[in-house]
Amino acid sequence: MNMEMKKPNEQQTTLEIKNLVIHYISDDEVVKAVNGVNIEIKAGKTLGLVGETGAGKTTTALSILNLVPEPQGKILSGEILLEGRSVLAMSELELEAIRGDKVAMIFQDPMTSLNPVHTVGDQIAESIEIHRKVSKQEALKQAKEMLELVGIPSERSNEYPFQFSGGMKQRVVIAIALTCNPNLLIADEPTTALDVTIQAQVLKLINELRQKYHMSMLMITHDLGIVAEVCDEVSIAYAGRIIEHGTLEDIFDHMRHPYTKGLFDALPDIGARRSELKPVKGLMPDPTNLPSGCPFHPRCDYAMEVCSRSVPENKWLSETHCVECHLYTDTNESML
Amino acid sequence: MDETIAKYTTRKGFFKQYKKKSRLQEIWTRFLRNKLAVVGLVIFVFIVLVAIFAPLIAGYDTEAIRINVPNRLHSPSAAHIFGTDELGRDIMARIVHGARISLVVGCAAIAFALFVGGALGAIAGYLGGKIDDVIMRCMDVFLCLPDVLLALAIVAAFGTNLVNLTIAIGLAFTPKFSRLVRSAVMTVRGIEYVEAARAIGATNTHIITHHVLINCFGPIMVQVTLYVANAILTISALSFIGLGIQAPIPEWGNMLASGRVYMRDYAYIVIAPGMAIFMTILSLNLLGDGLRDALDPRLK
Repeated sequence: MNMEMKKPNEQQTTLEIKNLVIHYISDDEVVKAVNGVNIEIKAGKTLGLVGETGAGKTTTALSILNLVPEPQGKILSGEILLEGRSVLAMSELELEAIRGDKVAMIFQDPMTSLNPVHTVGDQIAESIEIHRKVSKQEALKQAKEMLELVGIPSERSNEYPFQFSGGMKQRVVIAIALTCNPNLLIADEPTTALDVTIQAQVLKLINELRQKYHMSMLMITHDLGIVAEVCDEVSIAYAGRIIEHGTLEDIFDHMRHPYTKGLFDALPDIGARRSELKPVKGLMPDPTNLPSGCPFHPRCDYAMEVCSRSVPENKWLSETHCVECHLYTDTNESML
Repeated sequence: MDETIAKYTTRKGFFKQYKKKSRLQEIWTRFLRNKLAVVGLVIFVFIVLVAIFAPLIAGYDTEAIRINVPNRLHSPSAAHIFGTDELGRDIMARIVHGARISLVVGCAAIAFALFVGGALGAIAGYLGGKIDDVIMRCMDVFLCLPDVLLALAIVAAFGTNLVNLTIAIGLAFTPKFSRLVRSAVMTVRGIEYVEAARAIGATNTHIITHHVLINCFGPIMVQVTLYVANAILTISALSFIGLGIQAPIPEWGNMLASGRVYMRDYAYIVIAPGMAIFMTILSLNLLGDGLRDALDPRLK
């Protein structure tokens, strides 16, 4: 299975995204999906990318494998460094070599991410056959081991996806992602399509395997509960920007950005069942027509005059915690 | 007894019970449930067998093409089940040998169309953009012309022999297959498992052959059977107007053409080849419908 332990090296950066800008350009409009995202994931660490639908999370994830849908999706500027190598400069051949091998992806919907006409064993073996020079039999044998690893009896490798339940399909998808022992695992809302108990099982599985094989992970989600459970660091995405980034503690206990606070306020409190939910007022801005200045200012309770004029700079409040908000131009203290 | 215990206690035994039918078996079971489709299959298999064993049923040189004028225009009898034609040839022998031509040309033409049109359609549908535009606008030009007219023009330009006829009919059906395969590919292309395949590093060729086309197999198979029927009809039509298979080679269309002069007094001359065409087309259509239902359980 080629799963020799990799030496964790805290200094090593698995993924670094610098100032990434991706727009979807069609005949009559430009969808500004990603507008300057900065992300860094150290070897063996997990970063949670949190945001509403349409915040550019999935587009960012796809860009890591250079899979942004052509021809509308255009990576306009920025840099994506995978262990120091620029993904955007790679040829199609080089990309095919890293996809599934160095970087693997778990897709959102297990119902549609498995091909209905191939057995699950074949689908897991496919990735092995592509990246490892092994015979079909050997690949199938490894595929069976992978199935056992994610908790599915290997006898079922000859069955088709329709014979599996949703949670088991997601396990298969995880098995496919992990077969080649990637350095970076991108999980794009891996539990959204599953019910809560299965969610917990799948998360536990991902977490265990990730630690066992020492992978870095980018966990995309809009569920703060998942973030608290599996992530080391958190980035909050809004309208294609990372508006706040920090360790789990920075974000959960010392949140600075009004939007982050809004997200936490919008969580139901199990201790006060009668209290009303406080949603973030308004809606996500239309990505074809973003507001001037800070994209959050029309919805922000703390908006000042400067907010509509200029985009706030990224400010580091501590070693680990940074925020993009005009409230913190002069101070590091919480203004919320 | 031990076996029963093993069935429920060992892991292998436990899963053995759940051993499901393979996909093909399931499709076959569903197909058998459709009585009309089975009738279609039986008729078609019968026609294919007749074509294969034609020389055993009737001699080609002795009965199908040898002119025997004293014997002309005999009504159906024990010696000549479908009677004899205006030149004294046995109609049954001619139909049996004609089946070979119709089936071979029909299947070869559709295979050609499927291969060429399918490849073009798959490329157009998968890659999209400018390539799609260029390929499909060319196909649209061909699609504007009726099949018979297009085939007719090609045969008229290059001459009427078996190979030219096959290619002509194949080309006439190529744009239909490119449309069909393109739309099937486009539906499948958007599904997440294709994106997932790209994410594990599969090449475009691998994705088209292993993930996209195999998922379009059902609708394409159905159309193949229906278009084979169409192609056989086109061959007969071309032969009827004298641009297909040339006399004295027996072919259903040219049998109709030469027999139509005598139709008023000797109707059996045209009834038999007409029935042969009719039965072939009908069986293929029933077969195609049955396949469609069997391959797509949601239609039930």
